Amino acid sequence: MPLDTSTTYPLTKLRLDGRRWNELRLIQAQISTNAASSGSSYLTMGNTSVMCSVHGPAAGRRGEATGSAGSAGAIVDVDVNLAGFAAVDRRRRGGGSDKKSSRMEVLLRSAFQSHLYTHLYPHSTISIHVSILSADGSVLAAAINACTLALVDAGIPMPGLLTACTSGMSGSALTPKDPRSDELDPLLDMALPEEQELPFMTIATTTKLPVGEDQMDEEQETGISFMSMDAKVHSTYLETMMAVGIDGCGQIRELFEGVIKSSSRA
Amino acid sequence: MKSLRREFSSNPEAANVASKVFVRSTKSGKVQKIVRELYLRQDIPCSSKLCSHCPSIAPADANGNITPFVLSDRPAGTKAFPRGHYLVPDTNALLNGMDLCEHTGAFYDVIILQTVLEELRNQSLPLYNRLIALIKTDEKRFYLFFNEFRLETHVRREPDESINDRNDRAVRAVAKWYDEHLKATVKKGKKEKTIPAIVVITDDKENLRKAKEENVTALSLASYVDGLEDSAKLLDMISEAREARDAKGSVRGELFYPEYYSMSKLQTGLRAGNLHQGIFNVSPYNYQEGSVNVPAFDKSLLILGRDNSNRAISGDTVVVEVLPKDQWKSPSTKIMDEEAVTRNENADAEDTEAVVTDRERQALQEEVKLAHGKNSEGKPQPTARVVGVIKRNWRQYVGHVDSTSTGSLAASGRRLQTVFVLPMDKKVPKIRLRTRQAGDLVGERILVTIDAWDRDSRYPSGHFIRSLGQLETKEAETEALLLEHDVQYKPFSKAILDCLPAEGHDWKVPASKEDKGWKGRRDLRDLLICSIDPPGCQDIDDALHARPLPNGNFEVGVHIADVSHFVKPNNPMDVEASVRGSTVYLVDKRIDMLPHLLGTDLCSLKPYVERYAFSVIWEVTPDAEIVSSDFTKSVIRSREAFSYERAQLRIDDPSQTDELTQSMRTLLKFSKILRQKRYDAGALNLASPEVRIEADADEVGDPLADVKTKAMLATNSLVEEFMLLANITVASKIYESFSQIALLRRHATPPPQNFEDLINQLSKKRNMRLDVSSSGALANSLDQCVDPKNPFFNTLVRILATRCMTSAEYFCAGAHAESEFRHYGLASPIYTHFTSPIRRYADLLVHRQLASAIGYEGEDGHAKVEGISTRSKLEDICRNINYRHRNAQFAGRASIEYYVGQALKARGEKMAAGGADQGVNEEGYVMRVFENGVVVFVPRFGIEGVVRLEDFMLPGESSSWSVTERRELAAHRSTEFDPEEYTLRVEEKGHEAERNVVVELFQRVQVNVSSVKEEGRGAGKRRVRILITGTTDNTK
Repeated sequence: MPLDTSTTYPLTKLRLDGRRWNELRLIQAQISTNAASSGSSYLTMGNTSVMCSVHGPAAGRRGEATGSAGSAGAIVDVDVNLAGFAAVDRRRRGGGSDKKSSRMEVLLRSAFQSHLYTHLYPHSTISIHVSILSADGSVLAAAINACTLALVDAGIPMPGLLTACTSGMSGSALTPKDPRSDELDPLLDMALPEEQELPFMTIATTTKLPVGEDQMDEEQETGISFMSMDAKVHSTYLETMMAVGIDGCGQIRELFEGVIKSSSRA
Repeated sequence: MKSLRREFSSNPEAANVASKVFVRSTKSGKVQKIVRELYLRQDIPCSSKLCSHCPSIAPADANGNITPFVLSDRPAGTKAFPRGHYLVPDTNALLNGMDLCEHTGAFYDVIILQTVLEELRNQSLPLYNRLIALIKTDEKRFYLFFNEFRLETHVRREPDESINDRNDRAVRAVAKWYDEHLKATVKKGKKEKTIPAIVVITDDKENLRKAKEENVTALSLASYVDGLEDSAKLLDMISEAREARDAKGSVRGELFYPEYYSMSKLQTGLRAGNLHQGIFNVSPYNYQEGSVNVPAFDKSLLILGRDNSNRAISGDTVVVEVLPKDQWKSPSTKIMDEEAVTRNENADAEDTEAVVTDRERQALQEEVKLAHGKNSEGKPQPTARVVGVIKRNWRQYVGHVDSTSTGSLAASGRRLQTVFVLPMDKKVPKIRLRTRQAGDLVGERILVTIDAWDRDSRYPSGHFIRSLGQLETKEAETEALLLEHDVQYKPFSKAILDCLPAEGHDWKVPASKEDKGWKGRRDLRDLLICSIDPPGCQDIDDALHARPLPNGNFEVGVHIADVSHFVKPNNPMDVEASVRGSTVYLVDKRIDMLPHLLGTDLCSLKPYVERYAFSVIWEVTPDAEIVSSDFTKSVIRSREAFSYERAQLRIDDPSQTDELTQSMRTLLKFSKILRQKRYDAGALNLASPEVRIEADADEVGDPLADVKTKAMLATNSLVEEFMLLANITVASKIYESFSQIALLRRHATPPPQNFEDLINQLSKKRNMRLDVSSSGALANSLDQCVDPKNPFFNTLVRILATRCMTSAEYFCAGAHAESEFRHYGLASPIYTHFTSPIRRYADLLVHRQLASAIGYEGEDGHAKVEGISTRSKLEDICRNINYRHRNAQFAGRASIEYYVGQALKARGEKMAAGGADQGVNEEGYVMRVFENGVVVFVPRFGIEGVVRLEDFMLPGESSSWSVTERRELAAHRSTEFDPEEYTLRVEEKGHEAERNVVVELFQRVQVNVSSVKEEGRGAGKRRVRILITGTTDNTK
């Protein structure tokens, strides 16, 4: 049996993969990886790797025969495919989507439907296709990030980059936080073994202004646009976890700005 | 088209990411390949106080705290390492030497590697937990170094390298790095002379050789220990398991025991229902008879003989296979003592003997005959044999060296020899011990542990941990008692004492009511409150008051020490208290759960001073019907602390008419009504053989005068009734607020088959019926069990009935359905413990829960959430406090037993000065009848003891008292045992007619109690001997 975080972290302040509490895993991102789509990206966060391609905006809306819903704007259609070889156990997947990936589809759709300037494209569909090639923790965060990059690559307007990461606590934070002896640390960017052992949340933030238009303004205003948590955590820990998560999203945003800029120069 | 491969060359950080790949197989047999990232870094400190570099890079946690450095700047050294050393043990060294690591005389400044910790966890979880505990304590200076994440010490596995070789290489790499690192960074001016050596400790020969090649200092565990002072003692502490493993290769001797089934075979068997899993228990009267309770059978499965118990030791979780029906037997009716049967075995030369010696076999054989001879009464019970052990429950055992097993003392010197250790716990077989100090150990109480029990060894082999002192000295015996009952008796550490209020004994309730301490507290200082406790009680948990209300009703209040105000959750003091679980009362010593300052002063509701309290206040009608109840934190001032006797005198004295006395009379009146109500509801009045020792009696008098049976005064039950009422009221309140996590106490209804034997015995011998259909019915039928000629008979039956019941337990409300909450003995639907937070941890938790339930905020507003916990955490705590509670009771009883023995001995010595030791003549009662002896209970001393054949005084026998003389007698005696009538007839061979005595169950007998030395066995163990000198009433 390998070691676990809740025993060894308090002793060494090191996580199971050798990171400190506030360190991201190694993130590598590329855009325009697939010439056949409107926009595409490939992202790895540690051993989690995600491929994403965007098609559209294209005219017509799937499932809308009469068009009665009006011309509110484009709808975002997300399709998530969790590769059979992505997890530890190889699984043969029948056609269609399973519970896990359809849940992710719903979450991604709701995240981007409200994030993108969809009103610019009435009666059209933006379809996003996400493939999880390898799942090693923070899969939802990686998918959001990959989508953001691919949507930027596709040239679909949005206020700022929507970047996501996970944050958790270094022990089961089920009882109220005790200010006198607080031995739990928040952890940034959970890897799979940590996700299985500890409570964590996925959080995504965005800025009001798109990349490059805020050069003068140091105090870039960021807002949380997405948050999801399946674990049980006592409410007193929530603030710490969110603070760490927001900080992580900021780091990722900086990184992506670099990726986007260098790619447009090339 | 771009390549999507990870492009590492462009990213400078990527060079520091390695990956760890390993393969594991799951329970279902699937093979998984796991790939994990490793982020290699250079900011993992060496944690040596000598280092000038690492403090600057030491990492902080989220709150900015930096872990203090662990390794001393002046580490201890040995002759070989005069500059001091840091130790780097490998996994095997830890497996064999964990006891050494815990020893206070050596093994300081140890670097534990991540590699080693991980490997240890795979090999042995208990050792891993002990190591983690060691790393957490400050004194031993153990530092956990995550070598796999440090760039310089990370080792990649070579293609053809075995995992063990890689791990050994990692250990060497760390030693090398530490050496170089310290040389480079030791503070200037302290150069060279002070740099400690880095010593790798390993038992692997290949590793030692390679270390030599690579210029790394490495020693085997034994050769390192050899260089220490006191090496002989320390060498004995190395585990025997390794030697047993080493010997495995060369088959030696014959195999005594059958092999265990493989794990997969066990699992398949368990699933199919062919095999059964349960906890192995050994009968206290017969070491060869064990039993396992399994869900599939309502009666426990018997396991007879060494062959069938197959190396299981009492307490192990075992898997058993039921034997064919023709081998079923009835439980034995014979007392068998391992010491007596296997007295003369030689510890060294055991290879030639069979596992079951002829004597043992003979003993067993007789029983089989017996089982088959009977038909109706002796219903054979299913028997089973052990085929596998799931979990060993080996702990450390207190015992003494069997002096007959040591070689000639003259030759002992420092020669390694094998001896037997007889554990104090009769259920544990003797332990084979290899020691270099056999000569010194004879006559001492020693602590040993079991390392292994292999098929080729008749007895388990273990190693020596430490000596507690001379046998029979007070210190050694007290410590032995505490160790044997797993009582934590070490003094409180500094971290714990730091949690106490800074004012110490000068702490006072704040004078100003504006102070935050008064927040949410009711001022009850005007009430006439008093406490009633045993004489000399210092930790006063509870106080009471009663006063008439204008509407004709009464207000009654129970005030409990507010311990939760001083002990905050999760601080070191709280953690220690939760481990200790309860205060343990020994005859001459009290092992506190909380530090002295709190228990006997700040929390204790002493008279005449203001104290914080948690109060439960009822309004009751004059008929003791409860109108309403209220809970509040409060400040009280107790008017008087009474002892039971003094309170009784004051109440009985008609000239006392002050208000305080009046309120005590009111309380007494109510308590009587409450008591009656409880009995009407079916509460049981149980009895346990309790005596009290008043240890402060003067030296001159008869030592036995200190031993007193507990007297029950009306004031005892006054306090008891109100405490019960408070507990019940609080239980319903916390359950109402916390339906899942309320900490409650229940007493399960005992299954009727538990009473079968007792019911049989009563109807046979006394023609009495015991109705066990409900607690009320049982209470009534117990009341009927009286023998006009024998006033103690009723108590005896109550004692026996109590033993048939299950014990009460703490549990967390979510763990059982509400119908299961019942407290059988008290006949209450719900119950908890609230009234003794100074001496029980459960009460402290209940206090916190109640504070949360009533919305008390406390000084800093945190009290509201202090009572909230998770169910799993509470369940862990319940498990521990149940265990500790039981142990505390056992320890207390054992202490009394020991004291009685000592008092008898002291008396005996006094008598011996003026002649022979005649013992004390007392009355005893037969509790159990065996084929070769009886168990007698002596109420005067609260002890029960086995009376063997030789200890029956037959009529016309010349009285000879010495143990050896009497032992000779056993051979000349014959018995006639009637299991259906529960009688035993003892006769002297050849004189059957005139020299015989018949004893039967429940009979009153004249006994002679004395403390005797086991003669002829050098060890000088004492026991309380009971001689039956005559029988009185043969009422039938």
